[in-house]
Formats: sequence, C-alpha cells, structure tokens
Amino acid sequence: MGPLIPLDIIPEQWNNVIAVIIGMAFGFIMEGSGFSSSRKIVGLFYGYDFTVLRVFFTATVTTAIGLYYFSYLGWIDMSLVYIHPTYLTAAIVGGLIMGVGFVAGGYCPGTSLIGAAIGRIDGMVFTLGLMIGIFFFSEGFSIFEGLYNGGFMGYITITEYFNISSQLFIFLFTVVAVAAFYFTTLIRRRVKQVNY
Amino acid sequence: MSKVYIIFASLLILVAFGLVLLPDTEHEDQIPPEALLKEIMNQSRFLSADLIAARIIDEDPSIMLVDVRTAEAYNSYSLPGAINIPLKETLDEEWQPYLNQRGVDVVFFSNGDLFADQAWILCSRLGYKNLYVMEGGLNQWFTQIMQPTVPPDTSPNEDFDLYSFRKAASIYFGGGAPAQSTQDIKGENIQIIRREKKTATAGGC
Amino acid sequence: MKNNNEKGTTYFNPYFGGVMLGLILLATFYITGRGLGASGAAKSTVVAAVDRVAPKHAEESAYYSKFISDDLHPMNTWLVFEVIGVLAGAFLSGALAGRLKFKTEHNPKITTRRRLIFAAIGGVFFGVGSQIARGCTSGAALSGAAVLSLGGFITMMAIFGSAYAFAYIFRKLWI
Repeated sequence: MGPLIPLDIIPEQWNNVIAVIIGMAFGFIMEGSGFSSSRKIVGLFYGYDFTVLRVFFTATVTTAIGLYYFSYLGWIDMSLVYIHPTYLTAAIVGGLIMGVGFVAGGYCPGTSLIGAAIGRIDGMVFTLGLMIGIFFFSEGFSIFEGLYNGGFMGYITITEYFNISSQLFIFLFTVVAVAAFYFTTLIRRRVKQVNY
Repeated sequence: MSKVYIIFASLLILVAFGLVLLPDTEHEDQIPPEALLKEIMNQSRFLSADLIAARIIDEDPSIMLVDVRTAEAYNSYSLPGAINIPLKETLDEEWQPYLNQRGVDVVFFSNGDLFADQAWILCSRLGYKNLYVMEGGLNQWFTQIMQPTVPPDTSPNEDFDLYSFRKAASIYFGGGAPAQSTQDIKGENIQIIRREKKTATAGGC
Repeated sequence: MKNNNEKGTTYFNPYFGGVMLGLILLATFYITGRGLGASGAAKSTVVAAVDRVAPKHAEESAYYSKFISDDLHPMNTWLVFEVIGVLAGAFLSGALAGRLKFKTEHNPKITTRRRLIFAAIGGVFFGVGSQIARGCTSGAALSGAAVLSLGGFITMMAIFGSAYAFAYIFRKLWI
C-alpha cells in the first residue's frame, strides 16, 4: 500500500536518499532523451523537432494510467497523493510568463539544469537567470501577492471540476496524445529541417 | 510510419481503455477498527476550555468551533464564532467542506463530552484530520471560564494565574464577573500552546 | 531503442524516454506521494542565499519567511536533494553518450553573446512565472497533469500556448 513515505512504510530518514536516486534516474532519462539541448527543445515551437512533446505526453499518460491502475489494485491511496492546488489566475498568468521565458531562453528550469550538468553554458546562464527571477519575485512579493493567491479553487482535479470519470478522461487524453504524435510527424515532414 | 509504432500506440490505447472498463471499486476509505480504537484511546483530542478560550481571545484563524447540539440550543447560546452542525446532520453533504479541512483545527463541543465525541468518531472514520473535542463541553466552559472559583489560599501560584486568566476571559465573554475582584490581575500568564501547523505533502517545483 | 540524428549523437527513442520518465514519475508518486520538480530547488537556493547574506531581511519578508524554519536549513528540502540527483544523472548520461563539453548551443546566425543574453532573460521570466504558478514545467505541468490536477493542466496549456504565441517574435533566435 502506497504512498510509502506518507504512510511510514519507508521511514522519513530515507526521504533524501530516495530523492537523490529518483533525481538521478530523472536526470539520466531526460538527458538521454535530448532535453539537454535547447535547440532540440525549442524545435517543438517551430515544428522541426517534436521530441519534447513526445516524451512529455508519453510520460504524463504513462503515469496517469499507472496511478489509476495502482489505485484500482489498492496499491496506492490517491487521497494521500499531493494534488497540485489550483489558483486559476496565478496558473494562467504564471504559465503565460513561463511560455515567454521558454521560447526566449530555450530551456525550462529542469532542462536547464540538465544542460548545465553536461557543460552547456546557456543552461548555466538560464539557471542563474532563474534564480534572479525568483529573487525579483520574492523581493516584490507585495506586488505579486494578489496574483499569487488569485482564483483559489482548492486541491481539485480536472475530472472533479468537469464532473466526468477520471478513467474516461485518461482514455480520451491517451487518444489525443497518440493523435498528436501522428500529426506532428506529418508537420515535421513539411517543415524545413534545421541542423543543430 | 513503422509497424512497431502502430503496435505500441494500439497497445497504449488498449491499456488506457482497460481503465475505463474497470469496475468502480469501493475502496474502504474508512480506517480499520483497530486504528480507530487506537485513536479513541488517545486522549490528545481533548482540548481544555482554557486553551480554547485563549485561542478565541487571540482571534486565532486556525480554529473552527463546531456546536453539535440542536439548532434551538445553538440559537439560545453558543460560543462566539461557533458554527452549528447538529449531530444528526454530521454526514450531510453540505457540511463536509467545513469538517474536512487542511490546516484548520475543528473543535467539536456540546453540553458535555458525549455528543461532541460521537461527532469526532464519525469524522475520524471518514479519515478527516485535525479534529478535536472540547473537554467537558459547555458545562465545563461555564464552571471554568464563565464562573471561575477562587482557588484556596494554599494553592500554588500557577493556580492563581490560571484564575486571573479565567476571570479576564469571563469578562471578555460577557460572563458574570465574580464579586471577589480584590486580587490583582497579574497579566495573562497562561501558556498558549500553539501547535505547529500540519503541512500536507509539499508541492513539486 | 536508440535513435540517430544527423550529427551522430545518440538519443533515446522519444517514446522509450517518455515511458521511462513516466515510470520514474509513477515510482516517485508511489514512494513519496508527490511529483518531481526543479524550480523549487532554485527557490531554496535563493532563500538560503538571502538568509545567509541578510537574515533579518529574509525573516521579515512575507515570501522568504514561508520557507525558513528554525530547525531546518532552507537547503534541506526534498527538491534540493532531487536536483543534486538530476545533475549527477544527467552528467552520467552525457558522459556515457560523449556529450560532455563546455559550449553554448546557438543558431549559427546569432552570436554566442546574444544567445546567452536571451537565455538569462528567459531564466528571469521562468523564475517569476514559476513562483506565481507555484511550479514549472516539471512540478506544475508534468507532475500536476499526471494526477489530473486542474491547475496542472491550466499551467501546462498556458506555458505551451504562450510559447507558441510568442514563437514568432523570437524566431530569429532559433531558425
């Protein structure tokens, strides 16, 4: 029965050791999939490389399907799993700002670390910029505070909000993902290739 | 388009579709009887009237008082800021958001301990957290806070401090201030024990 | 399960990578009950640095003080340890595939300096945005969407939607 640490099946002290091991696996796979290269990542937005979309959607779908099978089998108590809280305006505004950062910087925080780890200087500079951005935000917290707490809707899932079955939603999401994989290969054939 | 991809994609969709076909399992969300018994034996759910009075006076936002008596009893008298969830409506859908809260201590009270404790057991079985019971209920509230008795002269100083606090609280809550007000109110020395707020599993990024 | 691209560096097949990443994320949820993240570690670093340089300021600030406690160092968080692992894992993968090299990756049409300036600007934007939305692409979008969090999906759509919307403005940087 999981999750193991919140239920004290694995003692709390192991938490940090597990964090390092999970992080290593995460970093290894991300780097191996090409997430250390900013030009490869940004290909998604210009249609010459859809690796990010493929990896990202495959991962989301795999985890979601896995979690619900685990829940069905009684291996995991979904009520103990952390659900990212929904702050509607904060999520939208934050996401819009991050999108600009994504095309301008070519990385996101996770991938910039991976790029930095194998010596990409742009990755290191991005990480530094990230910290400066967080510093700006923290110093100007009084300005951002209303936005930060804007539109709180609780720890709600998309299926609770639209009142549909989670399993059905995951199935539809999987179909959409597979369709996206297919159509992006078509797009990629039509777009001028970029050598990087 | 290679054949392998088509096979893998079909497999993925099939696995996802299997999820839809799974029957809805009624997972036993309720805690097992052994665990419930263990929680019932644990007396830490009882909060004293003094502690609750101190938190009300402090206007502590992390406490929510729930009066489990009937609506008539609630309307005639209740604690300041308390909401009324009569015991028989404990399981009603509309009250669940109040009872199942993160980061807020829900304190049940009735005239005595009994009904409040029953509400506590019901909500504990539902798996709700941060639930408490006011020790002795409103009866104890009256004898301790509203009409505190002067401790005997031989009592230790702490008892007198507690008495001063109760007397001050009594005035705060509009109770009959006791006649023997000769003793100086030596400041409110009661220890307000602030519990560290429980945090849920912290987020990702 | 390897996929050769033009230059001969080998990357995993993206679907293989995706499934592996999904299984890691699943294991993370199974073991710890929470998802992965990256910007949280950067936040801890900033909090720790500010706390070191100006402890009084950090304590008084409404934002830093949320992450400072008396008994734990601000760097002693799950995400910091996870990120240490990420750096090590990525280094290992890069070393095995022969990709370890100090270089700035950029479009040959632009200068290295220009690329680095925009990388820094992008970082700043991501820093502010990830704090407002309480997570970045890994914490909010990936881990959030995997547990079907409404906020996770909204953040994901906002990030990618905005990136596509602004792609045209920044096209000179990349193509």
